[in-house]
Amino acid sequence: MNNGNIAIEGGSNGTDEESIPEGIVLNEHAQVCLQQLLRVWLGFERDLSKVPLLRRIDLGTYTAEDHQVFLRNIRQQVIEGSRWITRTASSFDRNHGEIRSTIISHAVDEHRDYEMLEKDYVASGGVLEDILAMEKNIGSEALHGFLMHQSSQPNPIDLLGAMWIIEGLGEKMATSWSERIQELTGLGEDSTRFMAYHGHNDSEHMERFYATLDSVCVNDIATKRIVKTAKVVARLYRLQLEEMEHDLN
Amino acid sequence: MSVYITSTGRFLPGPAIPVDEVEKVLGAVHGKPSSLRVQIQKANKIQTRHYAIDEQQQTTHSNTEMAAKAAEECLDRAFVGREKVGMLAVASTQGDLPAPGMASMVQAELDLPEIEILTTHGICSSSIMALKAAWNSMRLDEHEAALVLSSELASRLLKKQRYEAATTSTFAAKRIDFSTEFLRWMLSDGAGALLLQNKPAPKGLSLRIDWIRGFSHAHALPTCMSVGSAGRPEDTRTWQDYDTYAEAEQDGALLLRQDVRLLDNLMRMGVDGYLRLVEEGVSKPGDVDHFLCHYSSHHFRNKILEMLNKAGVGIPEEKWWTNLYTRGNTGCASLFIMLDEFLRTDEISVNEGDRVLCFVPESGRFNTTYLHFTVVSQ
Repeated sequence: MNNGNIAIEGGSNGTDEESIPEGIVLNEHAQVCLQQLLRVWLGFERDLSKVPLLRRIDLGTYTAEDHQVFLRNIRQQVIEGSRWITRTASSFDRNHGEIRSTIISHAVDEHRDYEMLEKDYVASGGVLEDILAMEKNIGSEALHGFLMHQSSQPNPIDLLGAMWIIEGLGEKMATSWSERIQELTGLGEDSTRFMAYHGHNDSEHMERFYATLDSVCVNDIATKRIVKTAKVVARLYRLQLEEMEHDLN
Repeated sequence: MSVYITSTGRFLPGPAIPVDEVEKVLGAVHGKPSSLRVQIQKANKIQTRHYAIDEQQQTTHSNTEMAAKAAEECLDRAFVGREKVGMLAVASTQGDLPAPGMASMVQAELDLPEIEILTTHGICSSSIMALKAAWNSMRLDEHEAALVLSSELASRLLKKQRYEAATTSTFAAKRIDFSTEFLRWMLSDGAGALLLQNKPAPKGLSLRIDWIRGFSHAHALPTCMSVGSAGRPEDTRTWQDYDTYAEAEQDGALLLRQDVRLLDNLMRMGVDGYLRLVEEGVSKPGDVDHFLCHYSSHHFRNKILEMLNKAGVGIPEEKWWTNLYTRGNTGCASLFIMLDEFLRTDEISVNEGDRVLCFVPESGRFNTTYLHFTVVSQ
C-alpha cells in the first residue's frame, strides 16, 4: 500500500510481513471513502509544494538550517501526537474493542519518537536546548486543539481521516524527503532518522488502516465524518508547516 | 449539438528506428555514446520510433510539413469535401517558427482558403486544448467541419549539436545530467489529424465526443519539463534575457529539460483528476470499454492501477490500449496517432457503442486532461 505515493522507480514500501492480506476488498462505503481520502491526500500533498520551506526541497535549495527549523517545529506535534492517539483509544466503547487495540499498539510504537527527533536536531547542527525550549507554533496549536477535541468525542471513528493524512506524510518523509535532504544539505543519515524510521513503520500501519476503514466505514455518515476530519487535519497540518518559519522564540 | 470525429490521419517520418539505432540518428555527443541511454530506454519500453532528421541530423520534414501530411491523409479518408472545413486548429510544442502561429503555416501548406485558425501552445496537452476549442466551435454551430492537427519535431532539440554547443551548461558540468538526457531517449517525431463533423461518417466508425476536461496544477507545483532556462534554481533568466542567443545556447538555456524528481506529481494529479471526474459522476469506471493513455513510462502504470483498484475505481488492464511502444512518444501528437490506429487495429475489437476514456497528462507544469468518446456508426 502506498497511500497515494507513487514511486517512479523502486519497489513497494511495504515489505514487512502483513497480517492483513494484500487483496483486502473494501466494502462499498469504504471504497467511496477511500476515493475521497485519496483526493484529500493528493490535494494536501500537492499543496505542500506551496509551503516555502518545503518548496525548497522540490527546487533543490533546502539547507541544513531549513532542516533545523523543520525539526524544531515538528517536535511538539510528535509529542502531542501520542496524547491524542491514546485519548482516541480511551474514547472508544466496548463495542469497538478491535479498533481500540489497534490504536493502543500504534501509540506504543510512536510515543517516544520525539527523542529520536531531538537527536536528529543535534546531528543537524542544532543546540539541544533550543529544540527543548521550542513551544508549539500557531499551526501546531490549532492542529493539536482540534485533534484533542475530536478524540474526546465518543467513538471518534472520524480520526481515521486524521491518521490517513498524518501517516501519509510520515511515509512521504521517508520515501521522498529523507535521502533528498541529505543530498541537498550534506547532512548525514543521523540527521533524518526520524523521517526515515517513521516512514518505515507507517507502511505496516497502512495495512491496519485499510482493515479498520472497512470495519468502521459502513454508511454515508461515517464516510462524511472521516473525510471531513481528513480535510480539517490536512488544512491545519499545512498551517503548522506554513508557520514553521515564523519562529516564536 | 453532438460532434463526431469522422476521420483520422497520421504521419510518422522515415523508417521505424529500433532502440539500438536511436543514437545513430540523434548523434553521440562529442562522439561518445551516452551512459544513460540504455537505462532510460529500458524504463520507457519504447521499441521503435520515428525521426524527421537523418543520421547527419539534417531535417527531412519540417513540423509544418508533417502536420500537413497527417491532415492530407485524414482529409483523403473523409466523406466530406475539404471546402467544408471551416476551422483549422494546430497544436505543437514548438512550431518551425517562433512566430507566427503554426496554424498559419499549416494552412498555407494545405492551401485551405479563408478559414478560422487556432494555434495552441504547450506540451503534450496542447492537442487536447486545440481539440476542445474546435469541439466548442462546432458545438456553437459555427462550422460544419473542423480539422485538428498535432505535430511534434522534438528531435531538432535532441540532436547532438545542441548538447555540444552547451559548453557552460549543467550538461557540460556534470558527469551525468539526468534532467537534460531523460527526454532525449524518450521523445520522437510524428503528427496526427482528426476531422470533426456535426454528423457521423456515412460509413465505418466515428467517435462522438462526450466530454473533454482538464485540470492544471501550475499554481502549486514547480516547472517540471521545459525549454528556455539553464536549469539552475538560483538563475531566473530565460533564453531571451541573455545578451545573445548564442550565450543562451552555451549556457544550456535551449536544452529540453525534465526534472525527474518532480515527475511523481504528474501521476498523482492524474489520479486526482480522474477521481474528481468519478466523484462528479462524469466518469463511470464500470462503463469504460477502452482506456487510451498517453503515457511516457511503463513504470507509473502499475502503481496507478494498484491504488485505484483498492478504491474500487480501477480500470482492468485488458481495457488499456496504447501504441506508444511502437510509434514512440510524440508529445502532443501521441493521442491523435493513437486514436488513428485504435480505429484501424486488429489487436482489439472496437465496436459501436463502446466507450473510450483517454488520459493525456502533461508534465510541463502539471496539466492533466481527460477525454471521453462513444464509438458510433451511422
